[in-house]
Amino acid sequence: MADHSDEMWNVPLRRRSRADLTYDAKSPSETRRHGITDTVDGHARESLPSPSSEVTKKWLVIGAWVIVPILALWWILAQMSLRSFWIQALNGLSFGAVLFFLASGFTLIFGLMRITNLAHGGFYLVGAYVGIMVMSLTGNFLIALVLSATAIMLLGLFTERVLLRPIRGLEKPEVLLTIGLTFVLGDLSLAIWGGDPMPVPVPGFLEGPFRIGDIAYPRYRLFVLVCAVAVGAVLFYIERKTRIGAMVRAGVDDRETVAALGINIKAVFTGVFMFGAFLAGFAGVIGGGFLSVLPGQDFEILLFALVVVILGGLGSLPGAVLGAVLVGLIDAFAKALVPELAFFTLFAPMALILVLRPQGLLGRVT
Amino acid sequence: MELVRRLSPTARLKLVLLAVAIGVGIALPYMVGSFLVGLATLALIGGLFSMSIDLLGGYGGLITLGQAGVSAAAGYGVGYMANRIGAGYMAQILTGLAVGLLVSAIFGVMAMRSDSVYFIMITLAQGMIVWGLSIRLNRITGAENGLTGIARPPGLTLYWQYYWFALGVVLVCSLLLYVVVRSPFGSAIRGIRESEGRMRMLGYNTSLQKLYLFMVAGFFATIAGILLVYLNQFISPSSAHLTASAIGVLQAILGGMGTLVGPMIGSFVLVFIRNVVSQYLERWPTLMGLTFIVVILFARRGIVGALSRGWRAWLRRRYGDELTGPEKPAELGADVALGAQLKATGPS
Repeated sequence: MADHSDEMWNVPLRRRSRADLTYDAKSPSETRRHGITDTVDGHARESLPSPSSEVTKKWLVIGAWVIVPILALWWILAQMSLRSFWIQALNGLSFGAVLFFLASGFTLIFGLMRITNLAHGGFYLVGAYVGIMVMSLTGNFLIALVLSATAIMLLGLFTERVLLRPIRGLEKPEVLLTIGLTFVLGDLSLAIWGGDPMPVPVPGFLEGPFRIGDIAYPRYRLFVLVCAVAVGAVLFYIERKTRIGAMVRAGVDDRETVAALGINIKAVFTGVFMFGAFLAGFAGVIGGGFLSVLPGQDFEILLFALVVVILGGLGSLPGAVLGAVLVGLIDAFAKALVPELAFFTLFAPMALILVLRPQGLLGRVT
Repeated sequence: MELVRRLSPTARLKLVLLAVAIGVGIALPYMVGSFLVGLATLALIGGLFSMSIDLLGGYGGLITLGQAGVSAAAGYGVGYMANRIGAGYMAQILTGLAVGLLVSAIFGVMAMRSDSVYFIMITLAQGMIVWGLSIRLNRITGAENGLTGIARPPGLTLYWQYYWFALGVVLVCSLLLYVVVRSPFGSAIRGIRESEGRMRMLGYNTSLQKLYLFMVAGFFATIAGILLVYLNQFISPSSAHLTASAIGVLQAILGGMGTLVGPMIGSFVLVFIRNVVSQYLERWPTLMGLTFIVVILFARRGIVGALSRGWRAWLRRRYGDELTGPEKPAELGADVALGAQLKATGPS
């Protein structure tokens, strides 16, 4: 242990001893200036809150949950007609659906393996391009969807087994490796498929508008919404009710115990990573149908997915749902009402959440 | 002379190398043409930018993927005053500084309660939001076209003048960074990297320390951003993009995280590689991504790490064990290994 503490400080012994003395060698005013506070005092109060302040806080939270949406709704309805309100709401929800596919895979992988897969945006983009290719070869949307998602799943298998396995457990190198992978995937896509934006062709029966009352809305976007609800339901069922879901949930809580119980946790890891990649490829084809596919989309969609999980709470499936709906709606209404500030409207809620509730709306404190 | 003789061999070697590097740096415009001097200017600025990332990542253990957002915000501050307002140089530079510091303060408050992977995600989102805003806020940023016609201050217009100016600024900043790293604050930051919980137990307000660190790093990123915008006389959204931040991180890791000289070496290597390769090959991002992957998989200690290992091995053979101090830089992610060891050996 003794020689290790040197490495811990990364400074020669002479300096280290001075650093150790910093706390008691300084006058109180100076210690305060260096950011040293009376921890015992501060934390004792935090851990033993008075009952009345707890209740006040609870009502404040509930009040915020009720009042903020009402105010937002009121402000939006004052700006636009009811008809365009519904259209924008559906736009937001369908974009949120695509974000949900991405964010749920991302959050599952993080929750279980503590790997932040920043290549998820790259997976999305390559999935969309493969979808376009298969679509132009076969003309069948379903085949394109399945083949492309499977291809990305295999890409995920390669990423997890070959690239990430050697640095398993080193969180930061893992993240940086996936960002390197994103650059490779994005640039190779540009080399193979070119830089022109293109859509994933949509099958005939999903083209054209669908009429509800006097609102005509693209069928394809409604189809995306239905897909999201179906996938979400399946995900929740798997997570809550099946044996595999139980393994994953147990793995999230305590990897070592799960492994000790005789479950091959490494296989579960690989499976979950592949499943997350599968969902990203799926999202690429589905999303490519109404968001055009072009270079640079990988980073943009990654940004949205990150905001979703930061808002909803990292590692939480319900959080991914809530975050995706919120981000989708915010993005749609912001683009319609304040187009110049479209990204700021994403930034503001994120900043608020991070300051007031760093673990995210539905996240758990670890 | 007596003083020099009392230094350890390592310190003597460092002094000699530093003197040679500074000497070559000053003499460079006499030795090579304008193209290479221009590249060297770019590498110097990139190195300063990378140092600011390394201050966060290598010393504080907080790797950022959004630092380009901070320096680009400063660049846009300069560009806005120059291009849209037509203000004087002093106002341009002060605006750039103010914007950069303000942005890093806001980002710091958002990120200060997180660590490790969560910090990376938050900073990534922050940087990309600066990028998104710079594309959308046409009135201020000129969207995709960017802001042009940002003239250099008088006396710095020629390439070699600007090179010497950048060299001077970077040297002063390096000295400041050295002071920061060696100060009690620097020790506290390293303590937080190794074990935030312990530092909190010692009475440090770790979130506040992280905010300070973020702002100090933001200050140096701001300087780099201002230098860059005057070098290019132009700024566009791509300067805030994740790619720019990631290149900064790659330079720091390639050179050796947790050392001040590492990011500078990494920057020179990467700028040089990029210019050699782009003559033969269009696929620079692929190469960069592959370099990223290879460096992460096989060379996490970087160039300085490898060199210092070789030097220490030589020293040990020559003088025996007692002269070789603790190894530097710490491997990226070493805190995880240390954490596991603490878990295994610490009190239960």
